[in-house]
Amino acid sequence: MRYLKILEYALASLLRRPGKTCAILVVYTLMIVVLASVLFLTQALKTEATTMLAGGPQLVVQKTMAGRHELIPVSAVEKLVEIPGVKAVKPRVWGYYYDALTGTNYTLQGFDTLANELSLLNGRLPREEGECAIGAGVARSRLIHLQDELILIDYDNIGRIFTVTGVFVSAADLLTQDLVVMPEGPLRQFFGMPDSLATDLAVEVYNPNEVDTIANKIKRSLPDSRPITQSELLRTYHAVFDWRGGMMLALFSSALMAFCILAWDKATGLSAGERREIGILKAVGWDTGDVLLLKLWEGLALSLLAFLSGCLIAFILVFWWGTPVLGGILRGWSVLFPALRPTPFIDFYQLGTLAFLTIIPYVASTVIPAWRAAVTDPDEVMRAS
Amino acid sequence: MRLSILCLLFILICSPLFAATPAGPDDKTRCGVCGMFVAPYPHWVAALEMTDGQYFYFDGPKDLFIFYENLATYQPGATRDQVANLYVTEYYTARLIPATEVFFVVGSDVLGPMGRELVPVAGREAAATFMRDHSGTKLMRFDGRELLDAQEQP
Repeated sequence: MRYLKILEYALASLLRRPGKTCAILVVYTLMIVVLASVLFLTQALKTEATTMLAGGPQLVVQKTMAGRHELIPVSAVEKLVEIPGVKAVKPRVWGYYYDALTGTNYTLQGFDTLANELSLLNGRLPREEGECAIGAGVARSRLIHLQDELILIDYDNIGRIFTVTGVFVSAADLLTQDLVVMPEGPLRQFFGMPDSLATDLAVEVYNPNEVDTIANKIKRSLPDSRPITQSELLRTYHAVFDWRGGMMLALFSSALMAFCILAWDKATGLSAGERREIGILKAVGWDTGDVLLLKLWEGLALSLLAFLSGCLIAFILVFWWGTPVLGGILRGWSVLFPALRPTPFIDFYQLGTLAFLTIIPYVASTVIPAWRAAVTDPDEVMRAS
Repeated sequence: MRLSILCLLFILICSPLFAATPAGPDDKTRCGVCGMFVAPYPHWVAALEMTDGQYFYFDGPKDLFIFYENLATYQPGATRDQVANLYVTEYYTARLIPATEVFFVVGSDVLGPMGRELVPVAGREAAATFMRDHSGTKLMRFDGRELLDAQEQP
């Protein structure tokens, strides 16, 4: 009961100084918003990349020549299927297309290489020459819909007309955004790619424990190849997003320092009025412990409010509003950006760290000076002011 | 309609074929020896079938054989005659097959959920490859009664 009374007094004393309380609250909340949204977005992008790659092949084999990516002969498939543990090897045909009209890059994929996006399609997959399915980003940039025509210029500078038979509405937006899918034969004709070559080989493996061994064997049997495992890709993506998140935090660090100085100044510098208040409280019979509890409640109330509202605003900013500022910096490996609506995902470990790093120092910086004022003689405190 | 009837027929005809291997553990199944959940390790699952149709699941062939060798300890009252079949998950194909159809590689650098394992590999050639790749030291096989050294056997 006594604790509640002190809490009530603490809240009342916060309300008695609305100017100071509001100033600290606003700046504190802003800082939490910035920090939390960078954390949320980095985490969400990492989760997105993970789900995106989970549907892909466990192992991709590319050919390299003079250190550059080259088309791989389809005949290499026979060598690879002999390796024990390999379930299937599929040659994939895909490539990039620069669309001068909209200034964007599309990814053109052969139909056979698609794994399991069928259910995410609005319409149907293309069946014959002159048909294609496109990603939502392509549809948006070209202002076309189902059954409209998509004109692309092939390798020989001849315009080809494709009827759009389907539009991807994938949940993992990043993957299908800039995609144009058509049957493999027409795509080879479009790129001028001979039948004996493929862009790369997708290798399916029965036992994930064996992927690294198989990758080593592939490297030995095809010395000019570069096997890329899914876990390597995932690690790279995570490293890239972590690095970008770190850069963002580094950029914001000056703002954070400014906040720290302000919060420190506001919270530690006990005004003459506050000192006198502590003196009076002690004079009317409050313990030092009660005064400390009062200050603790004040600090906790303020920082919890700021922390929760900051996290809430960051959550809305990232997952509903689509991160107006941060998004463009954090993601972005192609020109045609998806409308970023990451799947809401919260890592409580990260939130805990953030709470620990902001709430505890703030509360400490309010309680310690109060303690110093509270242990001095009340008479002296009141006289000094 | 016709398609669904065909599907039903197909399932009916094929079901005896599928019935030869155990259905696999569910999420709550624990290893009969160490007590760990089995489902998180689909590439290591081993199973022991009793003649009354009861299945025991294990998180690796090692625990399967510990259970089998010490049947009286783990399943008091049971004898080896009541054991119908032993199944292990083959390393390269990740399929559950009878333990008599595989070679067991000892001392390899491939670790299971319980550490060092008897890694089941089907076929002598594949077993030799596995021993070379993962520095296995010894080859064994199961003849339906016990584990034997398979180094010399054809």
